[in-house]
Amino acid sequence: MAGEITMIVGPSGSGKTSLLKLAKGLLRPQRGTIEVMGAPLPRVSVRDSLDPRVAYIPQQLGLVRNLSVLDNVLSGALARVDAALSLLKLFPTDCLEEAGATIKSLGIGHKANEKLYALSGGERQRVAIARALMQQPRLILADEFMSQLDRVTSREIMRIMQGIADRGVAVVVTTHELEIVGRSSDRVVVLRDGEKVLDTDAASVGVDDLETVIRG
Amino acid sequence: MGNMGLLDLPRLGRGAVNIGRFAADLFPPNVSVLPTVAVAIVETLQIAFVGTLLGFAAALPLALIATPTLFGPAITGPARLALAVVRTIPSLFWGIIFVVAVGLGPAAGTLGIALYSLGYLGKLFYEIFEGVDPEVLEAVRAVGCNRLQLARYALLPEAANNLLAQLLFMFEYNVRASSIMGFVGAGGIGFYLLGYIQMLQYDRLMTALVATLVVVIAIDQISARVRRLVLVPTSLGAPA
Repeated sequence: MAGEITMIVGPSGSGKTSLLKLAKGLLRPQRGTIEVMGAPLPRVSVRDSLDPRVAYIPQQLGLVRNLSVLDNVLSGALARVDAALSLLKLFPTDCLEEAGATIKSLGIGHKANEKLYALSGGERQRVAIARALMQQPRLILADEFMSQLDRVTSREIMRIMQGIADRGVAVVVTTHELEIVGRSSDRVVVLRDGEKVLDTDAASVGVDDLETVIRG
Repeated sequence: MGNMGLLDLPRLGRGAVNIGRFAADLFPPNVSVLPTVAVAIVETLQIAFVGTLLGFAAALPLALIATPTLFGPAITGPARLALAVVRTIPSLFWGIIFVVAVGLGPAAGTLGIALYSLGYLGKLFYEIFEGVDPEVLEAVRAVGCNRLQLARYALLPEAANNLLAQLLFMFEYNVRASSIMGFVGAGGIGFYLLGYIQMLQYDRLMTALVATLVVVIAIDQISARVRRLVLVPTSLGAPA
């Protein structure tokens, strides 16, 4: 739902990552159809362009280490700029300004020209979020992207995601950390062995309840 | 081994004696040919440098065409086959072909080096592209870009370290390969190496060999420095 944060939890191998990849179109279903934002997902080949309205942040963030922060973020706008000019790294002025503003709003404006390997884990998370925002998405899918962060940084990142959701973007996050579900999400879905076993308001279930459902 | 004559002990014994005589004739080296050798070595380096550059310029787009991430088997198949055919022919034989085509001299040698580099680098490059972290490719593909943008903003930057390392290696190899292009009239120090051998001027040969060795070692050292300066860390490391 637009403006909502949904957390998908479940044991390893329950299908959390697969679900996000199916929703993004990175995986094809073996049977059945997938609907995203009310419309069936078209079947595309592995080399076709994907829908930029759905942003995807993988577990290891998928950032390009040899590009600067700014270039990584600008790549989020590739679907909506002139393709030929983008190959020459020529982006429209408004796009450059948007990228600069996005990086600043996430607290990494001073790192715009740094390469990825000079950034901390929390800073890289912000770069990944900035790249997703440059797509002007209606839906953000984030796969365990806080799994390597400490508790304080995780909370900061979830505050950022809450701000994004408040702007009307639907956010779906997979996580192993049950403690953050109640305070950082609106809805929780539990997967087990590839099946949805619970789909409810996040405030109505505690950590112990979730553990019970996950164990089965 | 018997068929190859490696068990013919009397013959091997005579060979050892001949090597000894040959080695004795190499010394002392005749340094009067140093100016001539120096000019020829510069030409050898030019052949290697320009040949490598031309080969690289052609190999990079062909390798992208041969990469399944970007194109289907109907395109990657013929591209890989073309690279394999080009690579199968040794650079010296390419040199002969181009001597026939464009005449004697360094142009033939440069084109020969370029063709062989194209085949060799093309294969190395598409294998590098295939090894790029699939999660990075997925993440950039997810923004909705087309294939060329995926190559420009994910494939090429992620592969840059390895591409450069292979390019430097190819240049080092080509300096050696260029040094014998003159054997077939394709320019460089090889013409003098062969000439000195055929004229039994082993003292002059020694000068040419030592000069070539010094240059090859220098190229290797410079190449190692360039790698240290330019290549970026290969791992992002654990988050701080």
